[in-house]
Amino acid sequence: MHWEFRVAPYFEFAKKAFAREATYRMEVFTNIGSLVLRVYLMRMVWLALYAQNAAPQGIALHQILTYTVVALLMSLILEVDGTRLIRDRLRDGSIATDFMKPISPVLFFFSDGAGQTALHTLLILPSLGFALLMVHIDIPSPLAAATFVLSFAIGYVLNFLLNFCMNCVAFWTMESFAVQLIVRWCSDLLSGQIIPLLFFPGILQKIVLVLPFAAIYSTPLLIYIGRIPPAEYSAALLSQIVWLAVFALLSVIIWNRAQRRLVVQGG
Amino acid sequence: MSTLEIWADVYKQYWRINFLTALEYRANFLVWFGFTFIYHATALAALWIILREFPVMNGWTFGEMAFLYSLWMLAHALNNTLFLTVGDVPEHVREGEIDRLFIRPLNPLFQVLTTPQQIFPDELVLAILLFILATIWSNPIIDIWFVIFVPLVVIGGALIDFSINLMIATCAFWFVKVDALRWVAFQLEQEFTRYPISIYTKGVRLVLTFLLPYAFMNYFPATFFLDKTEDALHFPPQIGLLSPLVGLATFAVAYSFWRVGLNHYESVGH
Repeated sequence: MHWEFRVAPYFEFAKKAFAREATYRMEVFTNIGSLVLRVYLMRMVWLALYAQNAAPQGIALHQILTYTVVALLMSLILEVDGTRLIRDRLRDGSIATDFMKPISPVLFFFSDGAGQTALHTLLILPSLGFALLMVHIDIPSPLAAATFVLSFAIGYVLNFLLNFCMNCVAFWTMESFAVQLIVRWCSDLLSGQIIPLLFFPGILQKIVLVLPFAAIYSTPLLIYIGRIPPAEYSAALLSQIVWLAVFALLSVIIWNRAQRRLVVQGG
Repeated sequence: MSTLEIWADVYKQYWRINFLTALEYRANFLVWFGFTFIYHATALAALWIILREFPVMNGWTFGEMAFLYSLWMLAHALNNTLFLTVGDVPEHVREGEIDRLFIRPLNPLFQVLTTPQQIFPDELVLAILLFILATIWSNPIIDIWFVIFVPLVVIGGALIDFSINLMIATCAFWFVKVDALRWVAFQLEQEFTRYPISIYTKGVRLVLTFLLPYAFMNYFPATFFLDKTEDALHFPPQIGLLSPLVGLATFAVAYSFWRVGLNHYESVGH
């Protein structure tokens, strides 16, 4: 198949996804309400823990509170799963027509996710306002902030590829939703979203820090709170990029197999 | 047949169908079992990791926090096993299926609770195993009161959990869509019962005690069983033994509200 690559249609897909998500107003408010509850909960938990114990791993209370709140805001963006469409479209069979259209299905999923992300990014502003009323968040230096944004962007694409691979499982088994939730919960814990990976004991910490999940939340967050100093920025970003490359390759292999499988099934 | 015999017979058939469905979709069942297992395992793992770095939280150790968690999990799993289908009420209302309940000569709530699903008491079995482990870790005084009151507290906790779900489901008679409400209550329950409520501000402690009495599912009873002082609201620890009564009281309130909801729905004339 041959087609000219154009950006315009993907931009339209993203705009449509944005508009579609914006109609679920109740869900929008629920998201903000739930975030406020969680910021409150995490604040009380860390206050109670720091009140009676010495600060572990040299992480001060204000750092852990910043870490937790930024992680929650990041999750508003990272929990968007545009590739969920694969599962839905496989179920109702419309994936067959996606393959016939003169567009790249993968970029279609990506732009749909990007549109949803744009809406959720807007949601961060009011959520951030509420969060700031409850806790004080440290402001990083301009260099740390810029590196954080770059690291977060790499984490975003890696997260997309991970979701993509997970959703492609649906090509082989239709009951992939529970499997995906299982992976989600494990990754919540192993990515450092709930607790900093520095709190993991001994050898366990060494393992989780090199797993791909760490590249999604932990690396940008440790850059933000200053636990990864400027001297180690390049090494940290490089390890993220390595995982990005691995998952990009994996995605290509899985996608090719999945496409062939669709042909065998008779689409 | 007496009414009671009819109810018992319907309930027996209901469980027979549940088990047969679970057997029929074995792969499906295994995946969802993995799901339940991982959900609780990650929650406990996070607790364990945090309490390795910080040995105590408001005077509670990891073993005691695990006991707190397992007490909640027992009540919650019992609720999920017996009363899960009450969560489908908003959908029944939306689809207009609720009308059918009024025609049949059986209590509508009983009909809701005996709508076949794929229910299996796997979570309850996991909860019992965790409770045994947590009891070994936290070392409470095991006497006759412990043996009598643990099951009663668990039943009370399941009733509390069920009653709150029932009240939210009843709101569907007015608002049809109650997803947001459900989500907030779900989060309050799942995350705010995980720690001793003494860590929260006064307002939240009062909400968790009197408005949505989740604290009676685990915090108050655990305080009593583990022989700790209750420093959230400065009650005597024996307050934890009231869980069964609190469960019955919340159920009475929830059931009255449900009846009001049913009447309101009829009066609209569907």
